Amino acid sequence: MSDFNKDFGEYKKDLDKASKDENINRALGRAVKSYRENTDAALAKYPHTLALAEEVRGIKDYSMENNKQLLDQAMKVIESNHGKAFYAEDREAAIRIANEIIGTGKVIVKGKSMLGEELKLREGLEEAGNEVWETDLGEFILQLKKDRPMHILSPAIHVPREQVAEIFSKFFNKEVPPDIAEEVAVVREFLREKYFTADVGISGANVVAADTGQIVIIENEGNVRLCTGAPPVHIAIVGIEKLVPTFLDAMKTAEVTWRYANYGAPGYVNIISGPSKTGDIEKVTTYGAHGPKEFYVIFVDNGRSKMMADKNYRQALHCLRCGGCMYECPVFQVTAGHFGRTYLSGIGSVWESFVDSVDAAAPMLYTCLRCGRCVERCPMKIEVPTMVGKLRSEVVSDDTE
Amino acid sequence: MPAKKKIPPVLEILRDNIVNKGNPLALNAKQNSSWVKDLELPAKGDILFYTGGEYQLLPYIDSLVKTMTIVDATSSAFSLLMGARKLVNMTGINAEKIYASALAKDKDRYFSINYKAASILRKLGYEICYDSTGELYSGALLHELGFWKELKGYAVKVSDAIRATGAKTIVCISPHSAEMFKQVYPEIVDFPQVEVKTFIEMVWEKRDLLPPVKYDSPVVIHDSCRMARDLGIFQQFRDVLDAVGVSYVEPYRCKEWTTCCGGPDKMLFPELSKIMGGRRVKELADTGAAKALISCPYCLSAIESGNKDNTILVDDFVEFIYRGYEN
Repeated sequence: MSDFNKDFGEYKKDLDKASKDENINRALGRAVKSYRENTDAALAKYPHTLALAEEVRGIKDYSMENNKQLLDQAMKVIESNHGKAFYAEDREAAIRIANEIIGTGKVIVKGKSMLGEELKLREGLEEAGNEVWETDLGEFILQLKKDRPMHILSPAIHVPREQVAEIFSKFFNKEVPPDIAEEVAVVREFLREKYFTADVGISGANVVAADTGQIVIIENEGNVRLCTGAPPVHIAIVGIEKLVPTFLDAMKTAEVTWRYANYGAPGYVNIISGPSKTGDIEKVTTYGAHGPKEFYVIFVDNGRSKMMADKNYRQALHCLRCGGCMYECPVFQVTAGHFGRTYLSGIGSVWESFVDSVDAAAPMLYTCLRCGRCVERCPMKIEVPTMVGKLRSEVVSDDTE
Repeated sequence: MPAKKKIPPVLEILRDNIVNKGNPLALNAKQNSSWVKDLELPAKGDILFYTGGEYQLLPYIDSLVKTMTIVDATSSAFSLLMGARKLVNMTGINAEKIYASALAKDKDRYFSINYKAASILRKLGYEICYDSTGELYSGALLHELGFWKELKGYAVKVSDAIRATGAKTIVCISPHSAEMFKQVYPEIVDFPQVEVKTFIEMVWEKRDLLPPVKYDSPVVIHDSCRMARDLGIFQQFRDVLDAVGVSYVEPYRCKEWTTCCGGPDKMLFPELSKIMGGRRVKELADTGAAKALISCPYCLSAIESGNKDNTILVDDFVEFIYRGYEN
């Protein structure tokens, strides 16, 4: 049993410090303004999104109700697509499965994944003797900085270009100026070599179609295309809540996700259903063409089934991870990811209660203002204040029994 | 037997005060009802004016929060301060000093908001009653902080007290009380068959009878989260301003999209709360309006905390409308 009072004291000091941090203040101020303008513009340009979001809410309701069946269906289809599907109940199982596939002494390029953060996947693979490179620019900065993400979509939102230049100059052992284009270029050059020499590429997924076994990954940088396309092995780690019944459902879910992540259309939408293949010679299907020869999907539970089984909290699994709620959260606006652990802000406090524990999430649960503006923004209309209230009652219930 | 979890003392003290004293800071009924003055409100009637003692808390909360910002909230000293009244005999701390530390002008102002609200309702022709001896706090903080089990028992006492007044309608001056009686109590207790209304709804219904308010420049409305998002009440304020001849401007975030004042974090994260209050003050001031109107006691307190540089003039909506009668 943790001492909430002690944890709370340390957490509070961290929040107070963050709220006075000029870098956070400046970066978040710009990000919130930009997010709101871009999202308003994207929703105005594609006005069907509101009705589509409502439809996706229905898809999510159905998917949570029928998750076990969808998981079973998806795993079978992935196998029939010449991929391999696994189910991991918790972090330990997920890391074990990944390491069994990968082995040791391998070079791994990895795309951004919140589930990866949740599982501390990179650390788990490194402990097994592998070299792992984060390829999302923000994640790469944090890997070098030994820091954690401060926003689920823009993980290095709190690091200004000057600090990035310092980090890169030290790592690349040459003078990198505080110029964003040059900073991007130096990482591009470094990672290009990694993509084509890596043994394994790892990605997450935004949504998975159970009927076709196709995983959908939304991105802008193009790093996921390379991670999932260049190495001979691709491993996707996916939370079981990402399953929806059909490919069309997956597309609808993906469109709503990127629209509320402030994009009219993202740079890339990757759709992957199995290893690369060709039938160009005598119409004989051969696996392992230009892309990966091996394709693995690890479906991870890690507390999700428990969340799914409890009707009070099931809707938290509807979260598309668009990040919109965070930009509207008055606490997040001044503290960034310090109001969080792996998952951030109000919705994060609900997730942390399940993927970790209610005790661990308690300081976050008591930070949420329960003001409800996140619900206004949320395309899934997730009732975060209601769930936070209920979880608070669980926090104090031991004390009062 | 599971180990007892240590939670921040402020939570325990608020809980114990509400459950045992019917008020988060253990203020007694005599203190709470001192705002009535010459109004001579009957204890029973069809329309119950309900303050919940919420505006009455504000001068003390601010005083305590000022202390809390220099004392670590996890320290025993903090615990002593927050528990001053119940620990008075054990520690020798004079609880009255804590309560007396509230500024007289703050006390006068916040208490008078109840007086002005009751007066407005009377002048609009509502025959209101007020339970000056038995009124209990709504328990909104028990609900907010997760003490749901305690709330269930406490709600019975509150419901009985309301039932005893014979009221058919309750008029809540705070959106937090209205939310409790409208949305929470019916789910957890045998709540009397009464209509629950907010002060602004009652005024809105008779807005044509309001005297004009002489105020030449536009004001800006700060919508409270509870009022706007949970109760869906925001247009009524604008209609009432139209009725009294006062123009208004809208802040960047308003109505269902209103920005929280930071008030809910005031007890556990006072510094953070103050920063959020200051940011909301800036949003309000950025409209160019010289005066902001507030319609929730906790918003009023939080916005005042974030307005220490007097960036904008701050009135409770009640105070502003009452000006029409003072012209």
